[in-house]
Amino acid sequence: MSNTAAGPSTATSPSTTNTNAQQHAPATLEELLHFLLSEQENSAVQQTLKNFVANKNRDSILASVLASGQDPLDLLHPETNTLGFLYILSARLNVPNAPPPQLAAVEAFCRSFSPTQARLAPERVTALAKGIVHASGDNLKFAVAPLRDLITRYPPNMSYLTTIHPIFLNACVSTQNYTSALPILTSPILNIDLHLSPDLHYNDNLIYHYAGGIVFGALKRWTEAEECFEIVVTAPNQVPSALQAEGLKKLTLVQLILHGKALPPPKFTNSVLIRQFKNSPYFNFAKGYPRTIAKLEPLVMKDEELFKTERNWGLIQQVISRAPRWLIKRLTHIYLTLGLSDIASQIGVRSEDEVRALVLDMVDTGEIIASISASGTVTFSDAASQFSYSKEEIDQALALAQEQSRLLLQLEREMNLSKEYIAKALKHKDEAWGAPDEEMYNTHSGGGWGDDF
Amino acid sequence: MEIDEPELAGPSKGKKQATIPVDDAHPFDLEAYISSYNGRTIVDRLSWIIQQCPTLAPQALQIAMVHVPRLRDPNIATMLLHAYEQAVASGVQENMPSFVELSKVDQTWIDELNRRNSEDRVKLEVELKTYSSNMIKESIRMAHRDLGEFFRATGDYQSALKQYQKLRDVCTTSQHVLDMCLSVLELLIESRNFNIITSYVYKAEPALDATSNMLRNSNQGPTATAAPPGREKIAAEREKVQSKLDLATAFAHMAQGTYDKAATYLLKIGSIKSLGHWIGTLVSASDIAIYGTLCALASFHRSSIKAQLLDNPTFAVYIEQEPYIRELIEAYMASKFKTVLEILDRYSTRHFLDLYLTSHVVNLTNLIRSHALVLYFQPFTSIKLESLSTAFGWTPEYLEQQVVALIQAGEIQARVDKQNKILKARDIDQRAVLFTRAMKAGKDMQATNRKLLLRMRLQQAELIVKPPKTSQQTTAHPNELGAAFDQ
Repeated sequence: MSNTAAGPSTATSPSTTNTNAQQHAPATLEELLHFLLSEQENSAVQQTLKNFVANKNRDSILASVLASGQDPLDLLHPETNTLGFLYILSARLNVPNAPPPQLAAVEAFCRSFSPTQARLAPERVTALAKGIVHASGDNLKFAVAPLRDLITRYPPNMSYLTTIHPIFLNACVSTQNYTSALPILTSPILNIDLHLSPDLHYNDNLIYHYAGGIVFGALKRWTEAEECFEIVVTAPNQVPSALQAEGLKKLTLVQLILHGKALPPPKFTNSVLIRQFKNSPYFNFAKGYPRTIAKLEPLVMKDEELFKTERNWGLIQQVISRAPRWLIKRLTHIYLTLGLSDIASQIGVRSEDEVRALVLDMVDTGEIIASISASGTVTFSDAASQFSYSKEEIDQALALAQEQSRLLLQLEREMNLSKEYIAKALKHKDEAWGAPDEEMYNTHSGGGWGDDF
Repeated sequence: MEIDEPELAGPSKGKKQATIPVDDAHPFDLEAYISSYNGRTIVDRLSWIIQQCPTLAPQALQIAMVHVPRLRDPNIATMLLHAYEQAVASGVQENMPSFVELSKVDQTWIDELNRRNSEDRVKLEVELKTYSSNMIKESIRMAHRDLGEFFRATGDYQSALKQYQKLRDVCTTSQHVLDMCLSVLELLIESRNFNIITSYVYKAEPALDATSNMLRNSNQGPTATAAPPGREKIAAEREKVQSKLDLATAFAHMAQGTYDKAATYLLKIGSIKSLGHWIGTLVSASDIAIYGTLCALASFHRSSIKAQLLDNPTFAVYIEQEPYIRELIEAYMASKFKTVLEILDRYSTRHFLDLYLTSHVVNLTNLIRSHALVLYFQPFTSIKLESLSTAFGWTPEYLEQQVVALIQAGEIQARVDKQNKILKARDIDQRAVLFTRAMKAGKDMQATNRKLLLRMRLQQAELIVKPPKTSQQTTAHPNELGAAFDQ
């Protein structure tokens, strides 16, 4: 099936038609295709594709069909001709009025492309990801699977943040396809490589983690949701962004669900952000939590409109519905035994049956340890003393800790090798002995463990 | 700075007026109480008593009227009249004799006093003017001081304070500064204006150091042999000032409700002699014993009570003045808390009728009560609420309320068995707690490291949120995504 349309006759024409510096550069799609199929050297391919025709026409030519009416994508192999395939595919998806590629072709490419080749053209990968979303239009759910393949295969491992991440998560959240996002989200982002995604923007990080928080929240995995929102809130900034302000609101609500109270804002939170937040009704709501539902309801009703327009109403309802649980939890610290009716009056729930159901449910979920006698007496036992760890669990924890300190040590060495660090260290050394030295050399991993607390 | 008479009734406004009983269960000997004071404070204190305790009002008024003619404040009779009218209006005591009947205030006396006052004032002001124009610094200082004292005597505290403050500019030696500060402090305590006490104490302290240093140096001069007695004298002088400063600081802390610090300063005060004329014109020795002990019991640990209160020979002299205070401390140290509370109740009249203590009585009593409860429970692993309530003489409901409040505040490590009415100490398995905590710390640390690492990477890649150059954002508004929770 190979080069039927682009014969050897066209291969010689560039030398006559093309007056540019490029000697053997292909000028038409047919020539290009021929070149792609014959050339195997990746960097040469990339160079040629990059310089193919003048900038503004390139994509429209790439997006066109061969003179014979054949789809160029049928001729290329996604794995061996990844670069060519990528250029043409991304052009076809993005150029208006271009013949749309077959969904099967997109899926096949994402499944089997060669990552090493693709990394030579990172901006085309971004374009492809955007194109996939764009092309699927209303049927966004078709975009999820190819994007997931792309995201898992493109970076060297899952700890890298790429431009595909926010696009993928956005698609997942919009289609409420939360579970597909989980395999990606559960591996935390630790690395950023601008060679991998040179057009990475600070918003990509914010959107990815913000959407991640929403996914975890929708699946009621609150601990992870909290972490995601925390990353959003603490992202380095000169001025707070709108996403961070929203993130702080959601972070607080998630904390109310998870801990029963709002924790103080993370250390790196922008002070303007905190000040803004303290003036919002969210802060007041969090301050008065937990209280009986009867007391909480009027508090939120006052700002119902705001909560609804900011789309946090659902979350607030969840927070409120958990209030009796936190009140019961608080009672366990004070009482050893308590009648169901006493609990009912203390937490503001009307019927004893409701309390009974609530206590049973909390025991089921492991929130409290308690038993109810036939006479309606609830006996709480201490949660802390019931906990014990097996040897395996402790070993595992130790192993994790060691791994962590190894990682930190390695990071420190990397840091010590960097030019900026050495330059700075030398400068400090010249200026003064003593205090700066201590500060500098104390970045040892052992110290790192203690520093954060 | 505001010093107006209605403020006196301030602390008690919220409470029921005139409910302070004086009977066999709450003895209060007015004459014995007032005999330990002299000067203006007698009338101030009596006026307070008249307002608070109508039962004693006629008697108090009679004593007050004996003292009024000796003072130079023409308004003081009016103040007493208001206080007395209030007492009559409260209607607790029937058939109270009328004010005029008791007071026999002579209008001619008031007129005469006013005339004399204005004459003196004119005289002092003229003096000040002459000195000022002659630029004799020392005389200016004295003139300001005299004027200040005059205003103080006539009850115009604000003008007095202004005069004293002007002294600052003409002070030439640290001794002058010290004198000025002490005068101001005396004035502030007398007028119950505690807010700015500390700032004058701060000013006085370096001046005190400078003065004693100067004296010491001058002694080392020609008469070296006279140095040892001189040193003792300096120490005594120093103690005199220091004790006054301590007392003033204690008042400031009491007013702020920091009873632990107030107690520390009160217990530091030197001998009764060192306070000089402050004893009597401002407070009595038994007052210091009461304030010091109550504050200490309300805020100190047992060991510090023993070290600072019981084993303090200087303070023991003060305690001698009020035998019931010794009983109180002994009962507390012997853990007879019922007795403690009984004594506190028995002498509550004495405490409420004290001008400086009155607004703190409730707080102090509550604090002592909670301390006692914590101490009482300490040796037990479990105790019946019933026996606890008999030990304290409280109703079981009230006791439970107290206990729950203390558990919530984290003061008692225990839980209430509501069905069996038992308070049980928390059986904490330290090993399990430690493991839980260590595991949690490890997890938190890893999460923190992860987040920090990402943050670092973001900074390295310079992916930092910057003010937008163009307002257009490439993405959907976050709220679009938030809809996930609404379904």
